Amino acid sequence: MHLDTLSLDGEAHEVWVERAPGGYRVHAGAAALVARLDRITDGGPRHHRLSTERGDADVLVAIDGDRIFVHLDGADYELAHLPVLERLAHAGHGAADDQIRAPMPGTVISVNAAPGQSVTRGQGLLVMESMKLETTVSAPRDGVLKAIHVGTGQTFDRDALLVEFEPAGGAP
Amino acid sequence: MSPTPPRWPFDAVLVANRGEIALRVLRTVRALGLRGLVVHHAADRDAPATRFADAALEITGPTPVAAYLDGAQIIAAARSLGAGAIHPGYGFLSENAAFARAVGEAGMVFVGPTPEAIDLMGDKVRARNFARDGGFPVAPSAIEDDDPRTFAARARAVGFPLLIKPAAGGGGKGMRIVRDPAALDAEIERARSEGARYFGDGRLYVERYVENPRHIEVQVLGDAHGNVVHVYERECSVQRRFQKIVEESPSPALDAATRARICEAAAGIARKAGYRNAGTVEFIYGGGAFYFLEMNTRLQVEHPVTEMVTGLDLVREQLAIAAGEPLRFAQGDIATRGHAFEFRIYAEDPARGFVPTTGPVLGLRLPQDVRVDSGIREGMRVTAAFDPMLAKVIVGGATRAEAIARARAALAGFSLLGCRTNTAFLRRLVDHPAFVAGDIHTGFLDAHPEVAADPPLSDDLKLKLIAAAALAHRPLKDAADAVPDLHAAIGAWRN
Repeated sequence: MHLDTLSLDGEAHEVWVERAPGGYRVHAGAAALVARLDRITDGGPRHHRLSTERGDADVLVAIDGDRIFVHLDGADYELAHLPVLERLAHAGHGAADDQIRAPMPGTVISVNAAPGQSVTRGQGLLVMESMKLETTVSAPRDGVLKAIHVGTGQTFDRDALLVEFEPAGGAP
Repeated sequence: MSPTPPRWPFDAVLVANRGEIALRVLRTVRALGLRGLVVHHAADRDAPATRFADAALEITGPTPVAAYLDGAQIIAAARSLGAGAIHPGYGFLSENAAFARAVGEAGMVFVGPTPEAIDLMGDKVRARNFARDGGFPVAPSAIEDDDPRTFAARARAVGFPLLIKPAAGGGGKGMRIVRDPAALDAEIERARSEGARYFGDGRLYVERYVENPRHIEVQVLGDAHGNVVHVYERECSVQRRFQKIVEESPSPALDAATRARICEAAAGIARKAGYRNAGTVEFIYGGGAFYFLEMNTRLQVEHPVTEMVTGLDLVREQLAIAAGEPLRFAQGDIATRGHAFEFRIYAEDPARGFVPTTGPVLGLRLPQDVRVDSGIREGMRVTAAFDPMLAKVIVGGATRAEAIARARAALAGFSLLGCRTNTAFLRRLVDHPAFVAGDIHTGFLDAHPEVAADPPLSDDLKLKLIAAAALAHRPLKDAADAVPDLHAAIGAWRN
């Protein structure tokens, strides 16, 4: 049995698929659904027919690495395959205090600190613009800056690494 | 109405903009038999407007936005492409008087108002005084320039809540609501910093903030011969962070008499300013009274709403006016029919405070049988470099209810796979009883936060989504297909 995890709507689902008469039986936790997914030939590469024991529907599907995007019943949804979740979990593990990541996409307006500099908690490190508002990114703790990964004028996506601290616990 | 000018004074028009508006302007330019030209930053090399134009030239800048703000570079590009006119779209250089002047000095026609009109209306304080002096209603306010040393005290006297605005501002940038008198000084400093950075001008003014007001604006057109008409109103009350999300016409709030008064006030302000080309006079409306807010001296994002109810092509009128033609109609010739809505499709997550989202456009399907002004295509990437507005869905109907029903279907038909958008939020909005009743105001989303929140998915929907994803994703489906037939025939087996 090949067990995978798909996340949907902030929830992880243990999923496995087996062949079944009429298509596949897709198990998600304790629930299951017999379904098949067929390309609609003249509908473009994303257009599919999802046929299930509970009714049929047209769906659009697009895949980007481990992210799976589905349009069903008038709305778009995003699912993620396990490896993505693992990576995110590891990225955050233990290093949260040493890294400042972008809370949202934006543009850097000014950088007010430099690598090697000692900073104190709450000190402004850089100013970003997002949603047409200025936000100051401040030091989450006292420490020494290891690297600043963005420059003035640069745009960044959500979760982009902005600033790194030298690990805490060295010289005070 | 008289036909299109037989001889245009220009035969090629450059659009100094990007995204959906660049494409929308180019469509009319080309439909009139003129050459459509565009400038583009490298980030927009594959954008629909760049591909649609007869010719396109790349412009550069320290940031993508800076390229579109570089008037000298754009004018040089327009020259080298042989443009006779420049249409600025909205945003970027559209309300930059120096740019309008430079276009003229370069021997080209600026498709917009005179630099003097841009200067007058671009200075929100001068514009307000101009309206007040003409006998048009304005809100209680305090202006820093009148006496900077007493500004904070005079602001306090206006009363709370109040709104701080940059004197040179627009588009919601740098505006702050202050409810707590103790926060006033700090908020003034913040607004000053933002105003200085966005507009190169840190001067401020404050205005009494009307709670739950409605935003109603009036489209106007003026020609070079002194003729001014209004083209009726749009209501744009559903907003987030002072930015519009949904616009409609006619406003469900106005009776015929008030509608006539507000439209005539707008035309009066434009006439007093000797206004030429397309413009929009914005009003705040509440408690049966309206007062002048500002005038936008450009084509608005939401102009298609007016086009839908009047049958006019406002870009066509802009070009004819810029060509020196008199208006093709008098006030009495303009009528509206039915009801229209525009829904702005933003790359943002309403459930997380409307933060912008980014991602690849893996799949894009536009609804059929409605107007969609879109600036994206499959294969592009939505980045943080530009405004998050991606497209606009415009629907009409004989009645407001009919238009809402069409909107429901159109929004369900819009799909963008790869980057989260606000379409599900818009569907919840058009189903909300208060929205359906026309009971909207600029604080609507604060009053109804449930519209922005993602409702939980039903178990049935979850299972179908998981099934579709699992069967589309090779690693999962291949695992099932790899099981030999014998085992598959036996069925599920667990060890």
